[in-house]
Amino acid sequence: MDTPQSRSAWNILKGRRGLWLAAGIALIGLFFWGLATAPSLTTATAAPKPRDTERVLARASIPITDNQLKVFANALDIVEQNYAEPKTNKDLVYGAIQGAVGALDPHSSFMTPEEFKELQVETKGKFSGIGIEITLKDRNLIVVSPIEGTPAFRAGVKAGDQIIKVNGTPTKNISITEAVRKIRGPKGSHVVITINRPGFAKPQDFSIVRDIIPIHSVKARLIEGGYGYIRIANFQDQTSRDLRNYLQKMRQQTPPIKGLILDLRNDPGGLLDQAVMVADEFLSHGLIVKTEGRDARQRMSFNARPGDVGDREPFPVIVLINEGSASASEIVAGALKDQKRAVVMGTKSFGKGSVQTILPLGDGSALRLTTALYYTPSGKTIHEKGIIPDIEVKDAHVALGKTPEKLRDEALDRHMRGEGLTDKPWDKPLTEEDIKNDFVLKKAMEVMRNWPPKELAGKPST
Amino acid sequence: MKKRLGQGLLVILIVSGGLTATGASDTSSDYEALRLLTEALNEVATKAVTQKKDQELFHGALRGMMSSLDPDSSYLTPEEYASYQRGQQGSTAEAGIELVFKDHLLTAVSVLDGGPADRAGMRAGDHILKVDGHLIRNITTQEGERLFRGSAGKILKLEVLRNGLVKPLDLSVTLETLGPPLPKVKMLKDGYAYLRLPYFSNDLPRQLAQELSSLSKGAPPPKGLILDLRNNARGSLDQAVRTAALFVGKQKVVTTRGRKSGTDQSYQGSDSEQVLKAPLPLVVLVDQGTARAAEILAGSLQHYRRAVLLGDKTFGLCGLTQVMPLQDGSALLMTVAYCYTPGGQKISNDGLKPDIEAQKPPEDDTKPLTSPVPNPENDPWVKQAVEVLKSGRAPSS
Repeated sequence: MDTPQSRSAWNILKGRRGLWLAAGIALIGLFFWGLATAPSLTTATAAPKPRDTERVLARASIPITDNQLKVFANALDIVEQNYAEPKTNKDLVYGAIQGAVGALDPHSSFMTPEEFKELQVETKGKFSGIGIEITLKDRNLIVVSPIEGTPAFRAGVKAGDQIIKVNGTPTKNISITEAVRKIRGPKGSHVVITINRPGFAKPQDFSIVRDIIPIHSVKARLIEGGYGYIRIANFQDQTSRDLRNYLQKMRQQTPPIKGLILDLRNDPGGLLDQAVMVADEFLSHGLIVKTEGRDARQRMSFNARPGDVGDREPFPVIVLINEGSASASEIVAGALKDQKRAVVMGTKSFGKGSVQTILPLGDGSALRLTTALYYTPSGKTIHEKGIIPDIEVKDAHVALGKTPEKLRDEALDRHMRGEGLTDKPWDKPLTEEDIKNDFVLKKAMEVMRNWPPKELAGKPST
Repeated sequence: MKKRLGQGLLVILIVSGGLTATGASDTSSDYEALRLLTEALNEVATKAVTQKKDQELFHGALRGMMSSLDPDSSYLTPEEYASYQRGQQGSTAEAGIELVFKDHLLTAVSVLDGGPADRAGMRAGDHILKVDGHLIRNITTQEGERLFRGSAGKILKLEVLRNGLVKPLDLSVTLETLGPPLPKVKMLKDGYAYLRLPYFSNDLPRQLAQELSSLSKGAPPPKGLILDLRNNARGSLDQAVRTAALFVGKQKVVTTRGRKSGTDQSYQGSDSEQVLKAPLPLVVLVDQGTARAAEILAGSLQHYRRAVLLGDKTFGLCGLTQVMPLQDGSALLMTVAYCYTPGGQKISNDGLKPDIEAQKPPEDDTKPLTSPVPNPENDPWVKQAVEVLKSGRAPSS
């Protein structure tokens, strides 16, 4: 029987609880439209479902005994009859499924039909908005930056603008989630945001027509002296393609870049296939990652293929990780480390070594289940262990005892002044001065300029 | 294929058999609900990496169903129910916090003044992520409470998430046997009195009666009273009614309404219980940590205009729970009725809205406003309450 469940998408992002960590050091208050509320990123392609009876029964052992089912039916009945307020049995069963799935691991969860629908919309990149990143600063809703080429950008919204109203409703005490929800809407519809900006005599209304907003998870800059810097914020549909574009452009420079820094710090992960493709970009052969699950379809090996920009003439690569680098980031860092293609610098990564699959249920709801664990080429599990960097470098700011809140504000302020690492066009090289605030990157550049690193005699690439 | 269909019939028969046995009213929709549960459990059983015993999934399902209702509803496994019936006298030491499991988080609704958790640095509103390294997830309020009981001297290592902080805090709390909470009285400048009730207890109405009568016999008696019910989430309906009677006599204090027979009831004290007969202007301080008995008391004082409520919206947690045993020895602990103020306003979920919102200090929002400060004279909310009393806006009859 052909069960198309294997086509369900992979999702390997950390669960809600990991989010604070993902929100580590850099611009954490930032949210892209649509990604704001979703605890994770996934391409939940709802596979066509086999007929229900077949699904329920296509196995020998029954997951719940008839006695248990009787007890459950009884409990359902008692609640339906006696709870203080009427409840539908559907809501009750949703609660029950949530509870059963919750007993498994922190990354498994249940989605109601509405939540599942929202997730699909968001991950297909079809959501529309006006194209600004926003954050809360001192309880004010602030534009972090308008995304180039979007309606907000064309309307003249600027980084640092304070949004005081959305469609006339004050944003006082609003949460990011709520703000996102209010500003987002169908393509072609319009939203009025009232903006206060130093220099305005009084707040001004901007009426902006919503459009589809492209999301780029990859940002890049050249570094003085013929090097490249690429930052991956998360792993989504376009990530490997965007990475390849930048790599190509960097290698087509005359002379081509001599080395690359791949920044995966605070990258919470995303899609497994994208992680594999990103690692493949730098590897010509050999294992990238292996997954192990109880279901046969979840046992897979992913191998690199030759012919990519990053593996034709291997140049030095340094991967930066920290405790906010998780899942897909750890696959890339682990593969490049184990295959000795890159030197990994920074601090130990988060340690999320599991793969989640979205499994649609009969009534439009869905399960997000941890279906496999993954292993780096050397056979190590990442789960709860993380990737240990080849060269440990602690962020000097953290060592100085600055709180994450303070670091976030500082990073935001730098960005508002256009001094963030990726705030200028990619081909304008970063200077020593530009990276002085980023201790880890500064260290990495020292290692890069003195390649091969003496810290690891005989170990690294090229 | 044939074989599979055969098993299918078997399962369907079992399902409907279970239903007729319990006499469910709406068989077809119950069937759909049960089918969905079976489908989900089947996916979990075949595909999840972590293999769980059927029993665990089943208990997880019941637990999930009950905690999706409200924070006071729980499922008790046969073992838990047995120990529940034996009573909870065994381990009396505790951390001095009131917890709820709500929106997938274990949250401290209130923290007892000067109790172990308070001294360890916990604040009302804190979310508990880990206890002794174990991630807190998918539990019920009941289970959460059990984690914070044990023998005296036991140390709990907590990872706590606080609103406004990116990184969780590590705290360590030593369990203690706590005496009954005592009301605290303090005379403020200009002849006003401040009265703090940390928690309710069986003895509290009597103690409070004493405090109130000695206050009113004072020379001179206070010009007004500030009753502090912030950060107070422990107490029963009965304790609340007896406390309210000190102020409102035999007037109705609270009504409960539910669908189960016998759950529609009104509760009131008697005139003989009323202590405060002479007019004394009253301001009651409430906030997000005000719940249960404290909400009943505040709700009745507000309804009869015996006091103005000053502060923040209350938590909204007030109901009657009942234990309903199931046939396998386990039990449901379920809210069968919600509380309503004498004016018919529902307390559960909605909470009470203060008559006067507390002015929040413009900056420093990482500092929780909810905990009363040791010296009420420096407490911005108390200062605001004194202003209200001075302006004569607080009712006194």
